[in-house]
Amino acid sequence: MMEREKLIKKWLDNDLNDQELKAFKKLEDYDDLVNLSNNLKGFKAEEFDASKELERVLRTIHSTKKQSFWMHPVFKIAAILAICFSLYYYTTTIDTAITTEFAQKTTIELPDNSSVSINSKSLLVFNKNSWKKVRDVELEGEAFFKVSKGSTFNVITKSGTITVYGTQFNVKQRDDYFEVICYEGIVGVTYNSQLTKLKAGESFLIIDGKLIVTEKENNTTPSWLNNESHFKSLPYREVLAEFERQYGVIIKAQNIDKTELFTGSFTHSNISTALKSITLPLHLKYSKTNNTITLIRE
Amino acid sequence: MGKHLHENICEEHIFSAIFNKYSKDLHNFLYYKFGELLNPKDKVQEAFIKLWENCSKISPEKAKSFLFTTANNLMLNEAAHQKVVLKHRQIKAKSYTNENPEFLMQEDEYMKKLQKALSNLSEAQRTAFLMNRVEGKRFKEIAELLNISTKAVEKRIYGALEKLRQEIKEL
Repeated sequence: MMEREKLIKKWLDNDLNDQELKAFKKLEDYDDLVNLSNNLKGFKAEEFDASKELERVLRTIHSTKKQSFWMHPVFKIAAILAICFSLYYYTTTIDTAITTEFAQKTTIELPDNSSVSINSKSLLVFNKNSWKKVRDVELEGEAFFKVSKGSTFNVITKSGTITVYGTQFNVKQRDDYFEVICYEGIVGVTYNSQLTKLKAGESFLIIDGKLIVTEKENNTTPSWLNNESHFKSLPYREVLAEFERQYGVIIKAQNIDKTELFTGSFTHSNISTALKSITLPLHLKYSKTNNTITLIRE
Repeated sequence: MGKHLHENICEEHIFSAIFNKYSKDLHNFLYYKFGELLNPKDKVQEAFIKLWENCSKISPEKAKSFLFTTANNLMLNEAAHQKVVLKHRQIKAKSYTNENPEFLMQEDEYMKKLQKALSNLSEAQRTAFLMNRVEGKRFKEIAELLNISTKAVEKRIYGALEKLRQEIKEL
């Protein structure tokens, strides 16, 4: 009996010599054992493709390697610092922008107590933090500046740059229209890299790239600050464009000569009166539906 | 010995060599012990990823036991223990050319009995036994993989054989 167990164990360990093999084959349960052993092969584990699996594991490792790089404590701290710094940088260098919509006007104070009144549909941008070093504002549209004395003050527009030292002046920059009126002090206007100095009451006007000579300005502030728009020998289209901005309307003026010069004014507070002001002098009729005004020649 | 000091699992070629050496055995060990339901292939992946993550702390000589222990624990964590039923395929014995239906039925019956008997074995018995019978591994190789003595392997395998034959007779 002991002999049988020993033979079977040796058979299991694939360790039978010839003699032992013969003895093993003579065991009464030899067929049974071999049959069992053969059938067990049917329970073989699923196929395992080592090279395919290695590729899979390496792929995971390579993707987590990058991750662990970012998860490293030093990088976490560095990342937090970087975020803090950029947030600080962003908030301290961010520009302040003021926009006005149709029919809206606003007055703001700049960091040095200079004040800016901004007319409808305009944009003014400046930077609080660099203000002490450079007094630069960017302007799209129209604004009136009362600049307190101090370092150079620049108004940068698409058409040109205005440089002042402490004065009151109005800047209007619309499409092909660029106008600077000086009310007090001296203003330098740089247009096409040429500097023009304006004294109080003088103005600088460019329409369609042409310099227009204008009369001396007698008012001390631009008319729009008193809710009126004044025009002196200006193309009719400028009047209509200003009207649209002040009332947030669309004006259709087909078959009407928009280059015709217009002298006059309109109010910002009553649209009917304002419409009469701009149509009667030119013998025009108007009809109004919702936000559209149509002008017709009489 | 001096060479081992410089061998580091963090080097990809060393890691790959270890993978090629042990992954298949590890997979088969997990399969025979826990069956296919708990995804032995995925556990192999996880165990090797853990090895990679700890590559600087583990010497190549310790890699094998780390892998087997880790994978085993991953399996144990996964689910409450239930009886493992291994799948089987039909093994065609070439000597029988014209198999009559009766024989086929007997054969099928036998496989079912065998399957049941296998699931009744202890995990330790079944694992060692099938690594020996199916994978053709000798006692010594199994002992090394499982970190136990050859004698213990012999005991498990012989015990499994006796138990199987007993159960098949009784069923």
